[in-house]
Amino acid sequence: MRGELGMPVYFTEHEIVVPGQLLSDNGKRSGEGTYAYAGKIYAARIGFASIRGNKVVVTPFKTAYKPAPGDWVVGIVSDVKPNGFEIDLGRHLKGVIRMPDREEVMSAGLNVGDVVYVRIKESGLSGVAIDKRSRIRRIESGILIQIHPAKVPRLIGRRGSMINMIKRITGCDIIVGKNGLIVINGPSPEAEFAAVKAIKMIEEEAHTSGLTERIEKLLRGLIGEG
Amino acid sequence: MSRPERLIDDNGRRVDGRRPDELRPIKMEVGVLDKSDGSAYVEFGGTKVIAAVFGPREAHPRHLALPDRAILNCRYHMTSFSVEERKPLGMTRREIELSKVIREALETVTFLEEFPRAAIDVYVEVIQADGGTRTAGLTAASLALADAGMPMADLIAAVAVGKVDGQLVLDLCDLEDKYGEADMPVAMAPRFNSIIMLQLNGRMSVEEFKRSLALAQKGISEIYHLQREALKKKFSELAPKEA
Repeated sequence: MRGELGMPVYFTEHEIVVPGQLLSDNGKRSGEGTYAYAGKIYAARIGFASIRGNKVVVTPFKTAYKPAPGDWVVGIVSDVKPNGFEIDLGRHLKGVIRMPDREEVMSAGLNVGDVVYVRIKESGLSGVAIDKRSRIRRIESGILIQIHPAKVPRLIGRRGSMINMIKRITGCDIIVGKNGLIVINGPSPEAEFAAVKAIKMIEEEAHTSGLTERIEKLLRGLIGEG
Repeated sequence: MSRPERLIDDNGRRVDGRRPDELRPIKMEVGVLDKSDGSAYVEFGGTKVIAAVFGPREAHPRHLALPDRAILNCRYHMTSFSVEERKPLGMTRREIELSKVIREALETVTFLEEFPRAAIDVYVEVIQADGGTRTAGLTAASLALADAGMPMADLIAAVAVGKVDGQLVLDLCDLEDKYGEADMPVAMAPRFNSIIMLQLNGRMSVEEFKRSLALAQKGISEIYHLQREALKKKFSELAPKEA
């Protein structure tokens, strides 16, 4: 099969591929979830193969969150140190907020166990650093749930369509961290419960089509017309 | 069990009725455990193995964490009821060694540098042992890693070859392993035809070794095919149903 890239590709769009599967002969087009070896592209993980832009990519079913600069994440303050805070980003990751001195740490008003919504500044060999110029938002109340980070893009939907629909129908304020931690704040326990249920359903059925309609139906059923 | 008089009969059949170049019946299933991030069950005849993967998660103790890549921990363990005579609890010298061998094999295909400072734990539990547990364990562990969404260069397929009654045979069972002349477990990354693990117990001539390796490769390509089928089966079940 000859793909849009003007080179041979060895998969059909949205085919399930497994690690080591040959995807293409043009090693320069290796994207996320793939690797290039001896001028050819192979799948690095299990997922759907597709062509995005001019790259061959594999969208994984499951994957651990990899922090990238600019990502907004939800974290839990796990330690307060003289020169900053340590933030638990779920699973294996810890981020740090570095502060110049003790006074600023004191005035930040954060304590161990607080849930915060923050932006990643950089991620590299020195660990994950959190941007403190953009506001560190402390979340006062709500339900904290965790989903698989690979499902977050589906939860948000195209230009936020999915998450905005859930917000609109349930009336909940929902904060979604790229790391898979989510805080839900709603007008009533029923509304919060409906939002949690919808999010769990999206996590489980992320690859199915027509999901938006089914979620809408589920929410309407739980909330009632109103 | 005591030694049978002959391990290969006049018709060239082995103790369990197989031809010399025949694998045992293989069963593979991916995603058998809910609480792990990835898991797999592999059966080679009487050998039954479960592998589970956890992680990437925080490395403990903390000083073991590496700044540029994840550490991979592996535990190969035989349940006490997996062998004929009850195996006492705890890790024996052999199990510790096999844990290391399996860990080093898995490290060669996993892109550990994707998860700096983290740890990935792989548990290989032998439910029933009938020869070839390390190869079945490695086969299962690589499936479990793939199931966990770990970035990998390739799957690992492994099988043992050996010499029994002067003949080269594929996929030794326990009797053949015990009373045969040689036992050679081989693990490969089939995509690049690279040997990832090779051990040899017993004696073989150079020519026999070459033929054994070719025999192992034949078995491995069959196992590799089954592995890919098992992975695709799990994910196509859970994936796109047009609703």
